[in-house]
Amino acid sequence: MKTNYQSPQQFYRQRRLRMLIVLLILIGIYVGSMLLVKFQTWNSIVKIPAGLIWLFHNFIPTERSISYLGPILYQLWRTLLVSISSTIVASIFALMAAILGAKTTTPHRSVSLVIRFGASLLRNIPVVAWAMILLFSFKQSDFTGFLALFFMTLGYLTRAFTETIEDLDAEKIQALQAVGANYFQCVFCGVLPEAASTLTSWVLYMIENNLRDATLVGLLTGTGVGFLFDTYFKSFRYDAAGLIVLLIAILVILLELTSTQIRRAIA
Amino acid sequence: MLKVIQLDKTYGSNKHSLKAVNFTAQPGEVTAIIGPSGAGKTTILRSINQLIRDDSGQILLDDQDIRQANKGELRKIRHHIGMIFQNYNLINPLTALENVLHGRLGAKSTVAGMLGLYSDDEKSEALALLDEVGLKEYAYQRCDQLSGGQQQRVGIARALMQHPKMILCDEPIASLDPKSTKIVMDILRKLAREKQLIILINLHQVDIALEYADHIVGINSGAIVFEGPTDEVNDGVLQKIYRQADQPGAVVTANEN
Repeated sequence: MKTNYQSPQQFYRQRRLRMLIVLLILIGIYVGSMLLVKFQTWNSIVKIPAGLIWLFHNFIPTERSISYLGPILYQLWRTLLVSISSTIVASIFALMAAILGAKTTTPHRSVSLVIRFGASLLRNIPVVAWAMILLFSFKQSDFTGFLALFFMTLGYLTRAFTETIEDLDAEKIQALQAVGANYFQCVFCGVLPEAASTLTSWVLYMIENNLRDATLVGLLTGTGVGFLFDTYFKSFRYDAAGLIVLLIAILVILLELTSTQIRRAIA
Repeated sequence: MLKVIQLDKTYGSNKHSLKAVNFTAQPGEVTAIIGPSGAGKTTILRSINQLIRDDSGQILLDDQDIRQANKGELRKIRHHIGMIFQNYNLINPLTALENVLHGRLGAKSTVAGMLGLYSDDEKSEALALLDEVGLKEYAYQRCDQLSGGQQQRVGIARALMQHPKMILCDEPIASLDPKSTKIVMDILRKLAREKQLIILINLHQVDIALEYADHIVGINSGAIVFEGPTDEVNDGVLQKIYRQADQPGAVVTANEN
């Protein structure tokens, strides 16, 4: 292969020129879209302080909000349970799908293709859309929320699990084949133990993620802490709504800390 | 006795292909396959237990042609052929003991193997084998906590758990320091002598091959260029095996000639 001689100065001049062009293009896209939607950058920036002050003034929980603590905690608990149970059930199905779908363990290439397509379909429908679709069949209930989270999680975890399995060293599995192990033995004695800690990490991550999404889904399905937030918000009880936001944040942080501990323990 | 007859294998490119490979390996002996990298050493080894499907030829282990075996027969044949690797290929999060017991998978029912249901005898045997390779006190350690040399010895114990007629060793010492190299090679030679196993080793260290092997198979560009007892190997033979190996594109030129 021949390369033309290029001095370092030329190389850097060309690279700088390319960066400049990319920057100009980005600025152009920004300005273009601003004009298109008639967004006035300056006016919006000016309004930020006033907006923040209003937010703090109304949404900071007061002593009065404490009386709402009981129902909030109860709904938060239900929401947590829905997100955990949907993740666990989805991960069981995702694991089976991933073993059948991963290129290294698939029984046939067409099976792998079908599973990848299905997972991508489930994953790329936003969880809010899932909730709205399922509302028609299952009405406003915890189960609708559960199903919406389940489908989205199934799609997401199937992909994550598939990639985890494909990333494993194929030689280790070959070593078991060389011993005379059959397909199921290779999967159970090789693939699963090797992948276990990464798979668990994904499940824990999805539980965190689903708690946040469950709140959003609750708005639509009329259940859980999301619905409670909506109720307080629409009846101008902003302090109570603010308390919900605060408690969700605390719960998510606690969940993250716990899952970090678990991950460290099994790594 | 292992007898490889007229083994052929072609990939898309000429690299790693085998051309009419013939050689034999005797029980009780260490047979080393040496040759430049890319010559086809690994392809030969993996053809023998059919991890790689070759194109044509015969692979006779005690007069049974491995290439003609169906799926179930192949599983039984593989059960009696141990294999160890450059990267050890143990299941890392599992203990040494569990990895050794994997050597029984080829003889177990699907469910028993999946669930790790081993008999007491099998467990005691696994522990005894770990003791034999000097790792009894590491039996309950995770394999990724062991050193390279220790992992390779776990690999050997896993192979022995198969009650093998033969152990295939694919560059077993390429990742090891000199001290571990000596331990591993000493064990392999001892196994050949005491258990009358066929030990077939791919090596790129000529000095180790000359020190430990009884029988040498030299390969260059997928063809056998030497086969004979170790004391027949001289500078001329080595030159023939390693000719043009250090030059880029050597394999291609060798094929064109």
